[in-house]
Amino acid sequence: MTSTATAPGPPAPASGPAPPKPPPAPEGRDRAGGRSGFLGLLDLPGQGIRAIIRSAATTPGRLTVIAVGLVLLALVAGLVATLSVQNRDDTITGVIDHREPLAAASQQVYRSLSDADATAASAFLSIGTEPPELRQRYERDIAEAGAALAKAASDSGDVADAAGPVDVLNQQLPVYTGLVETARSNNRLGYPVGASYLREASELMRAKILPAAQDLYRVDTEKLIEEQDSATGFPWLATILVVALLAALVVAQIYLTRRTNRLLNVGLVVATVAVVLSLLWGAVALVVQGSLVGAGQDDGSHRVDVLVRARIAALQARADETLTLVARGDGAAYEKDFGTNAVQLAGTDGQGGLLGEARSLISDGDGAAKVVDATKAANDWFKAHKTVRSQDDSGQYQEAVDFAVLEDKTDGSAPAFRRLDDALQDAIDVGRQEFLDSTHGGGSALTLLAPGLAVLAIVAAAGATMGIRERLREYR
Amino acid sequence: MSRRGYTVRIGVLAVVAMLTAACGSPGKPVDPAPVSNAAWPQPAHVGGPDSTAGGGTDTSCNPQASLAPSGTSIADGSTMAKIKERGKLIAGVDQTTYLFGFRNPTTGNIEGFDIDMVNEIARAIFGAPEGRVQFRAIPSSQREDVLTQGQVDIVVRTYSITCARKAKVQFSSVYYKSGQRILVTKESKVTKLADLSGKRVCATKKSTSLAKIATDPAKPVPVSVDNWSDCLVMLQQGQVEAVSTDDTILAGMAAQDPTLQVVGDQFTEEDYGIGVPKDNTDMVKYVNAVLDNIRNSGAWQDSYRKWVEPSLGPASPPSPQYQ
Repeated sequence: MTSTATAPGPPAPASGPAPPKPPPAPEGRDRAGGRSGFLGLLDLPGQGIRAIIRSAATTPGRLTVIAVGLVLLALVAGLVATLSVQNRDDTITGVIDHREPLAAASQQVYRSLSDADATAASAFLSIGTEPPELRQRYERDIAEAGAALAKAASDSGDVADAAGPVDVLNQQLPVYTGLVETARSNNRLGYPVGASYLREASELMRAKILPAAQDLYRVDTEKLIEEQDSATGFPWLATILVVALLAALVVAQIYLTRRTNRLLNVGLVVATVAVVLSLLWGAVALVVQGSLVGAGQDDGSHRVDVLVRARIAALQARADETLTLVARGDGAAYEKDFGTNAVQLAGTDGQGGLLGEARSLISDGDGAAKVVDATKAANDWFKAHKTVRSQDDSGQYQEAVDFAVLEDKTDGSAPAFRRLDDALQDAIDVGRQEFLDSTHGGGSALTLLAPGLAVLAIVAAAGATMGIRERLREYR
Repeated sequence: MSRRGYTVRIGVLAVVAMLTAACGSPGKPVDPAPVSNAAWPQPAHVGGPDSTAGGGTDTSCNPQASLAPSGTSIADGSTMAKIKERGKLIAGVDQTTYLFGFRNPTTGNIEGFDIDMVNEIARAIFGAPEGRVQFRAIPSSQREDVLTQGQVDIVVRTYSITCARKAKVQFSSVYYKSGQRILVTKESKVTKLADLSGKRVCATKKSTSLAKIATDPAKPVPVSVDNWSDCLVMLQQGQVEAVSTDDTILAGMAAQDPTLQVVGDQFTEEDYGIGVPKDNTDMVKYVNAVLDNIRNSGAWQDSYRKWVEPSLGPASPPSPQYQ
């Protein structure tokens, strides 16, 4: 404490009789009335506040209090602002490096597993030994699903909701591949029980595994949106503190001008300039960052989400198409499911649905061309599907199977679906690149802002100290 | 007590409380990856006992009696003429019952004893069966529905004739006589249904076999599935102890898995007939005529020798009975 007042002691008595002894202090208290020893620490805050109030009665004391207040406020505001900006920067980095790739990985899991199911069914439909390209595609799908699942699982510790689906996927995927292998072995031996194992595997995939993959995708996407929102939110506490600091500086300067008749106090002016600078820099940087991260969400991850949901509907419909043929007359439920998924994908007229929504969202650039391609491929596929169904229903089973499964039939289902899947994959890649570009730009808008705010806060504190010290010197 | 002593006591109590909390028992180590359920998957639509099973208890009719044949000529306007005009015979069959109706993975065709019967009928209508038959694979539970809705012309699918079923559809004469037995693993000591008290036994939905299992006094636990092959899958996966149905179907299952065997005597009599929609009486007579030809011309023996004799030994065609 820099109190310049002295505590008044007992008045010195005139010479005469010996001064009376001061009354003995009560037990445990010293002469000034404070408690002794360890417990004296508990009295310090009370004594401090009383001392400050006493000293504020005088101008130097008041100036000192003002200086201390300004310094503390500057340091606190600087700390809060720096931490808030640093936090925002870390969130953006996390979104780019971790959160968005995880959403993409969970989408990949769904896509690979659904394609594996459709491929295993297509392989079953072929006569004789399984065609090697179908076998390779199945193996590749399972490997991709496993790799994407490992990546998705690495995060399930942080996100409680993801742990459940990842658990189901990890436990059931080996069971599924085991059933497919059993189906394959029985098929090789010519036993029809292989078909039953394949249907059991498909049932496991559709009833347990794919819903878990869809849950995982939904959980990861929600977390991504949550983090994007937190990176674009308004920094209330930091702004309030910095504005309060600015106001305090202005009030202090006005007080000093009135008291000391000096127009400008250099230190305080420097401090004010630093605070204004930090306010402007912060505002501009955060506005730019917010709009870029928001663009990353609107033009990037939101579009990707719509495209992914379209892809999920397309994959489910494809699996339904092949399973209807596997069931061979017993597949009415699969055909109904195909109808539902087709409407979800492209609407009742082929121009609406999720693909229509994607078209209205993505109106420019490469992505728009890809979505148009996807819509055309979807309509080609539905036309081919009608042919498949009419052939199957009229008894031309083998022709229906060939039309649905063979890749070299020009108007067949398989090439049309392949084009649809590829176009959607390309559009998703374009969307992810947009997301990355925008979000990365948002992150760079914040470069050096955090250390910059810290430095400016220290400059403000130093300026306030120097400025007030100048005036205080006049009182010595 | 003085304020000092009071404060000292509070301080001491606080310190003691903190130490006690810190020195508490650590509990058990955390299980990092608890697994709640490691069960094998099941085929789709596995159920329990089926109250609408094809009741073998109704004995009000003579199941073996069918309409007398009236020759194999096709009159104008008859059902067979319509089929001939359509160009295809639509048959409801199975594609998962080995030896009787199954899809051969090597050739992609549906083959079996029942399929041979269908081909003979197609040959009688069209002259040759190739390309004239549309096979629709149907689950056991839908055999009556596809006939009552007219979705198929005939159902040849190990179809046992019962009086309850005769109320809804018509049957041809008996073309095969079978009986219910039990399929278990080779290590099992089971020889009859009574040995399976409280154990799980599999059959397909709405089948006579399921009804027999459900009503047996020894109280085995019936498990119902969509297709006979699903029963074999469940037996191989250890989810049921036995499968009980006609010995023909069981023979097909045992042929696919050398660790299984068919045990026990035939404890029911199953008469297989060809199902025809109830209104098509001319079709029933036509089919009976074709079946007579099959029995007499040796076609029945050829089919039997090819498919069934290796598993169940020699037999002769059952003689028909007419009303």
